[in-house]
Amino acid sequence: MATRIRHSLTVRITHWVVALSGILLLFSGFGQLPLYKRYNLIKVPGFAWSSNYEITLVIHYLTAAVFTAAVCFHLVYHYRRCEFSILPRRGDIGNSIKGFKAMFGLGEEPYHEKFQAKQRVIYTIIGTTSLLLIVTGLIKSYKNLGAIVLDPIFLQWVAITHTVTGGIFMMLFLAHVAALLLKNHRPMIPSMITGRIDRGYAEKHHPGW
Amino acid sequence: MTISRRTLLKVIGAAGLVTLAPAVRSEAKIGPDSFATLIDLSKCDGCEGKETPLCVSACRTGKKDLFPKVDKDQLLNYWPQKKYEDWSDKQHLIDRFTPYNWLFIQQVEVDGKKISIPRRCMHCDNPPCAKLCPFGVKHKTAEGPVYIDHSLCFGGAKCRAVCPWHVPQRQAGVGIYTLWQKYLPVAGGGVMYKCDLCRDLLAEGKTPYCMVSCPQKAMTIGRREDILNQAAQLKEDRHGHLYGMDENGGTSTIYFSPIAFDKIDKALSTNHNPKEKSKPVPLHNAENILEKQNLWTQLSLVAPIIGVAAALGLTRGETAETEDK
Ligand code: HEM
Ligand code: HEM
Ligand code: SF4
Ligand code: SF4
Ligand code: SF4
Repeated sequence: MATRIRHSLTVRITHWVVALSGILLLFSGFGQLPLYKRYNLIKVPGFAWSSNYEITLVIHYLTAAVFTAAVCFHLVYHYRRCEFSILPRRGDIGNSIKGFKAMFGLGEEPYHEKFQAKQRVIYTIIGTTSLLLIVTGLIKSYKNLGAIVLDPIFLQWVAITHTVTGGIFMMLFLAHVAALLLKNHRPMIPSMITGRIDRGYAEKHHPGW
Repeated sequence: MTISRRTLLKVIGAAGLVTLAPAVRSEAKIGPDSFATLIDLSKCDGCEGKETPLCVSACRTGKKDLFPKVDKDQLLNYWPQKKYEDWSDKQHLIDRFTPYNWLFIQQVEVDGKKISIPRRCMHCDNPPCAKLCPFGVKHKTAEGPVYIDHSLCFGGAKCRAVCPWHVPQRQAGVGIYTLWQKYLPVAGGGVMYKCDLCRDLLAEGKTPYCMVSCPQKAMTIGRREDILNQAAQLKEDRHGHLYGMDENGGTSTIYFSPIAFDKIDKALSTNHNPKEKSKPVPLHNAENILEKQNLWTQLSLVAPIIGVAAALGLTRGETAETEDK
């Protein structure tokens, strides 16, 4: 089967570091809400510790460090290499609506390069959510360093933004995985593991690449 | 590359400074002009002979407008659990923290001497209860008081779990979650209540109810710097002990006692009637959960620099044309 390289090793490593730390951030972040005791996760064997804020907060700090470093790496790395093909362009919104329709067999898929319009739009949404989480998360970490008093109303908005974007991140994560499990997207999965993608698939869905 | 290396380094340097600056200023302290309290245990006699200690009844009368007003229809189980926390039938209790009793007098005998200890929120300098609130509705103010915005609190009780003295108490059937709990019984359990240091009175230049009502003048409030000096002086003159200086990372409530606090704490836990459901509020050497994790916090703050440095290192001398496979 003919294949071609889609994602370099660096990109794949970055993606999986972000994905793994992101999943742990989701788990430990939701652990910062009083959920796991009330909703009985602590009764699941092996998860008795999950309602301990001290443990989940350490996990959150550690994985936040990995996630933040990886996202900053990603931004500077591609900026330095002038690789911008995943950034949204004019007309992407309209084209991604067409793309989504095509996913369900309605109409033709628009013409695409390396990334489809809908992929670029989704990238922007995931990226913005992540950046918001990082910025608010860093402020939250900072104020935990000691007897630091910031304007309480400012902190209230930071906390609410972090909590709400945390929820959005959860939904985006689920949507991302669900979309890849759809039959016509499944051929993409190897591209994030071996880096290679089936040539026929690429020619069909990314003709301009 | 269209952007010169130097500009880029400048940008990254600035980003680094922004992330590093907080770490440098992390020594920031609570201002000397904020409020602090001194509670002199050698003066308080627990209002011997009175049915209710005067400070306790003064707080209960003075603050009653802020106490929960429960809608009985809204007293529903915390699904999927089969319970809810309701103190509305136990408003008379004066010997523990409840949503209707923000101050109580703990009594214990040490070496044949009876000691009375007024207990309320310590208004900590680095309060985990406020800093870890997922909605940020518990506020630490520069003036000193730590207070809860009752109109926005969900009553998740996380603040009670992370407070070393478990001060905040929950009342079900009130607050923002009553807007949806009948249709969707998730997210929320009521509202948390505790002493707010009478911050409205302080703002008007007045003294909190509990302190003015004390016949022994056992509690003094004032400028933090003055109160800390007063406490240090008392300790030296009377060879006594202080509590609240370093506990939970420092607080703005300092207790003075002629008897060592570890002795009192031990007496509190040994004299405790095991049949009682709640444990006594301790006077232990409380650790601050946030302080304990400082190293991990700092690691998350320097992470952006690590990521940027790694990217710069990897792309050194690279342009868009050279692809790594
Ligand atoms: C928190 C976790 C994750 C985040 C933040 C994340 C983020 C991203 C982003 C931003 C992209 C590029 C945009 C796009 O193609 O739509 C991407 C691509 C991809 N992700 Fe994830 N991801 C996560 C988890 C996962 C998981 C668990 C899988 C495994 C099923 C996965 C598989 C893939 C694949 C196969 C691609 C390549 C799509 C392509 O070649 O265009 N990701 N991911
Ligand atoms: C995928 C990314 C993330 C998700 C899903 C997430 C989610 C959450 C959630 C749901 C909470 C509890 C609600 C709250 O306290 O606001 C939380 C708390 C927290 N998050 Fe995150 N978070 C993420 C990234 C980060 C990052 C990158 C940092 C720091 C650099 C961070 C720092 C914190 C801190 C310190 C808390 C504890 C509460 C506090 O101290 O104010 N988070 N997170
Ligand atoms: S004593 Fe407890 S409730 Fe009061 S400020 Fe300190 S941590 Fe918060
Ligand atoms: S300071 Fe005010 S709220 Fe706090 S215990 Fe005294 S009277 Fe009650
Ligand atoms: S602090 Fe004053 S009012 Fe309160 S119990 Fe002691 S003596 Fe009575």
